[in-house]
Amino acid sequence: MPQDIASIDPDWAWSPFSPSTEQPWNRRLAAHLCRRAGFGATSKELDELLEREPAELARSLVENAKAASMRDPETDALATAMLATGNSRNLAAWWLYRMLNSSWSGDQATQTSPLLEKLTLFWHGHFGTGAEKVDDAEMMFTQNRLLRRHSLGDFGAMTQEISRDPAMLIYLDSTTNRKAHPNENYAREIMELFCLGEGNYTERDIQELARCFTGWEVRRKKFRFNRYQHDTGTKTILGKTGKFTGEEGVEVVLKQKALPRFIARKLIRFFVFDEPAAPEQLVEPLAKLLRQSGLRIAPVIERILASNIFYSAFAVGRKVRSPVELGIGLLRCLNGSSNLDRVAQHLDEIGQAVFYPPNVKGWDGGRTWINTSTLLGRSNLVGELLRHEATRFDGQTLEALAKKNAVSNPGELIEWLDELLLAVPLDDSAKSELLAFAEQTTGDPSRRIARLIQTLSTVPQFHLA
Amino acid sequence: MTTRRDFLKSSLGTSAVVSIGATAPQFLLQAGAAEAKPTDETILVMVQLSGGNDGLNTVAPFKESAYRKARPTLAVSAGDALKIDDSYGFHPAAKGLSNLLESDRLAIIQGVGYANPNRSHFESMDIWHTCQRKTAVRNDGWLGRFLDNTRQGDALDIPAIHLGREKQPLALSSQDIRVPSVTSLDRFRLKESAGQLRKTVTNIGKSASPGGGLLGFVQTSTGSALSASEQIEAASGRYKTGITYPESGLAQKLKTVAQLIDSGLKTRIYYVTLDGFDTHSRQAAAHEALLRELSGALDAFVRDMDEHGHGDRVLTMSFSEFGRRLQENASEGTDHGAAAPAFLAGNRVKSGLIGKHPSLHDLQDGDVKFHTDFRQLYATVLDQWLGVDSAPILGGKFTRVPALRS
Repeated sequence: MPQDIASIDPDWAWSPFSPSTEQPWNRRLAAHLCRRAGFGATSKELDELLEREPAELARSLVENAKAASMRDPETDALATAMLATGNSRNLAAWWLYRMLNSSWSGDQATQTSPLLEKLTLFWHGHFGTGAEKVDDAEMMFTQNRLLRRHSLGDFGAMTQEISRDPAMLIYLDSTTNRKAHPNENYAREIMELFCLGEGNYTERDIQELARCFTGWEVRRKKFRFNRYQHDTGTKTILGKTGKFTGEEGVEVVLKQKALPRFIARKLIRFFVFDEPAAPEQLVEPLAKLLRQSGLRIAPVIERILASNIFYSAFAVGRKVRSPVELGIGLLRCLNGSSNLDRVAQHLDEIGQAVFYPPNVKGWDGGRTWINTSTLLGRSNLVGELLRHEATRFDGQTLEALAKKNAVSNPGELIEWLDELLLAVPLDDSAKSELLAFAEQTTGDPSRRIARLIQTLSTVPQFHLA
Repeated sequence: MTTRRDFLKSSLGTSAVVSIGATAPQFLLQAGAAEAKPTDETILVMVQLSGGNDGLNTVAPFKESAYRKARPTLAVSAGDALKIDDSYGFHPAAKGLSNLLESDRLAIIQGVGYANPNRSHFESMDIWHTCQRKTAVRNDGWLGRFLDNTRQGDALDIPAIHLGREKQPLALSSQDIRVPSVTSLDRFRLKESAGQLRKTVTNIGKSASPGGGLLGFVQTSTGSALSASEQIEAASGRYKTGITYPESGLAQKLKTVAQLIDSGLKTRIYYVTLDGFDTHSRQAAAHEALLRELSGALDAFVRDMDEHGHGDRVLTMSFSEFGRRLQENASEGTDHGAAAPAFLAGNRVKSGLIGKHPSLHDLQDGDVKFHTDFRQLYATVLDQWLGVDSAPILGGKFTRVPALRS
C-alpha cells in the first residue's frame, strides 16, 4: 500500500479488497464496514458477517438497500403517529428508530436496511432542508420519503423531483419566484451545492436558471405550476440557449461535466475519509462509473464499499463520528433501545438534529463536529443514555449483555468494547488506565460498566469512525 | 448570498492576520507542552433589547416643550430625570445607567438608525443583524461574518456563545462556524463523577503518543474540553463577587457571562437579549421595569468585570431594532419608531453623550431621524475593539463613532 494519498494508484484503490494473511477479514474490519455503511453492528452480527466475503457483502448490502428503498414508509404506523402531532421534532425519533432497527441480514421483517438509512441521511445533508423554515412535518416527511426512494437510484431523477419538492420550494424561497422578480436562491444552490460546486457556473447562469423556475409554487402542500408567473422567454444557461422550462433547466445542469466528479468527491468524503480532499485521480474512476451508469448511485456505492482503499489505513478511523453515528451507533452496537425522543434532543445539543440541518449546505462534518461544548456534550450524552431509565440492552441490563457475550471481568470487557466500538484501537497504556478506573468503581455491575463506557467515550479515539 | 459571500471569500486572505493569540492551546494531553497563556483578547457582550426600546424615554429631552407636549402621560419630567446634562436625563428607573455614566463607563450614542427605516420588528431586527435589506439573501449576520473572517484552522474554544432560550440571533449566523446557544453552564459540565473521569482520560492522553491528522485534532480538543470543564467548574465554585446582581433574568444571564469570562474561556462574543420593549399600551409601568432590569444588570456586570480584572477587555453593546414614535398614542403607549440611542459600556469607552440628540422638530413620519448609521457603531467596535477590518464584514467602509478610548 502506498504511504501518501497523492501517490495512490486509482486502480488499486477502487479494486475489490480481497483479504490476505497480512490483512485478514476480521471483526475490526467488519465493524468498520458497519460503522460506515450504517450505524454499527452488534457482536453477534459481526460474527455472522465474518462468514462472508467483503466484496460479496458489499453487493448484497446494496441489493438489500435497493429492495428496502421500494418499501415506502408511509404505511409505517410509527410514522403516522409521529405525523399526527404535526411536529417535525417528533419525526426525528421516527427516523432514529429506523436507523436503530435496521438489519444487516436483509431480513424483510425489519423493513429497512442500515445502508439505505445512511444514504438517506447523506442525501438529507446534501439537499439540506430545515424544518424550522418549512414548518410542516408532513412536507418534511414527504421529502424524506423522496430521498429514501432515490437514495440508490438515478441522481438525475432525484434532482428533478427534489426541485419540485414542496419542502425544498419553501426552504429556498422558490414560492416567491415570480416572473417579474425571479428568486435566485434555488438556482444558485442547485448548481453550487447540489450538482456542480463553485466555479462551474456564473452569476449570469444563476439569473437565467432562476427564470426557468418562475411560476413553481406550493399549493395545499403540493407542487403547482402557475403558468401566469412563468417566464416563457429564451434563456441561456451554461452555454445552452432555449425557451427552457424548469425541468429543462435542471436537465441542462445535470448534463454538466463537473457533476459526476462533484458527487463522487462528496461520496468519498462521506464514506471513505474526511480529509484530505480526495485527489482528482482518485475521484475520476468513480465519476466515470457514475457517468457511464447514467448517474446511478448504487454501482458507485458498491464500488466504494468493496474497495481496497475503503479497508485501508487511508480510511479506517479517518472520519469523525457524527452525532447520529455516535448516539445511534452506541445503542446499535450494544443491542440497545431507549427513549429516542430524548436521544434526538441530545443529538441536537451536540450539533445534529435530523430534519434541522444548520443551513442548505447541510452538516459540514469532519472537524466541525468537535468543539469544547460538543465534546463534553458527547460524554454527557453517553453517560445519560446508558443510565436512562428507558434504556435496555438486549432487552435487559448491561450486566446481562456482558454475560451473554462471555465477558466476565473488566479486562475482557475493555478488550470487547475496544473491538466493538473503536475504529482506532486503544494502546496498552490507555487500556491499563481504563482497567485501573474500572477496578476503582464500585457498586452495581451494570452501573460500573456504564461508567467504563462513558469514560471510554471521552477518550479521543472514540470520536473517530 | 451573491455579492456578499464572494466578497467575504475574497477578503478572507487579508483578514486572517488579525486574530492573534487564538491559537489552540494544548492543555493537558501532551506532556511537556507549554502552559497556555492567559488570554488577554478583547471581548464583546451584546445585549439586545427586543421589541423597540423607547429611546425618547430612556434618554429624555426633558427641557423640550415639544417632548412634554407629545407625551402628556409618559414624559419624564425635569424633576424626575437622572440628569446627564442640563437638557437630557435618564428615565428615573435607569439608575444603573446613571451610575455607569458617573463612573465614566457609559457612552450614549444618540440618533442611531438607518436610512428608509423599516418599522417591522422582524425586518428591522434582521437589518441590524445582517446589515442587509430584505431584497438580499441573508444567510449570515455581522458577528457571524466576524467569526468566519477570524477563524483559525483548529480553533478549539467556542468562538461565540448565545445565552438564552430564544432562537439564536441571526447576527451570529455564519457560513462555517456553529455558535452554541446555551441556557446554562451545564453545557460545559461533565455530569457524573467529573473528577475521576477527567483524571483517567487526562492520564490516557499524557501517555499517548500525539497522533497526527484527525486523532491529533481530537486529542488536543479533548484536552481543551476537559480543561474548560475544569476551569468552569472551579470558576463557578470559586467565583465570588462582591457585586450584588439583581434577581432579574438579564442580570442572571450577565452573571453567567461573567463567570464564563472569568473561567478563562477564550470566547470573544457573548450574546444575550432582553425582550418586552414593544410598549404599545400602558407603557409607563412596563418600560420602567425593563429599564430597571437593563440598567441594574449592566451596572452590576460592568462593575463585576472590573472587580475581577477584566474591566479593560470587556465591552458591552446594547441596542434595539428601532425607537418609538415621539407622539404617544391613545393607549398611553408608543408605536414603532426609528432612530434611538445605543449604548457602549465598559472601562474603555468615551463616557457621555455622543452625537446630538435627534431634533424633535425635524421628524420623518412622526419619528426622530437617525444621524448615525448603526453600521458606524459596528465599524467602531470591529475596527477598534475586536481589531479586525470592518469593511469586508459590513460590506463597505463606515465612519467610526468616537466612542472608545484608544
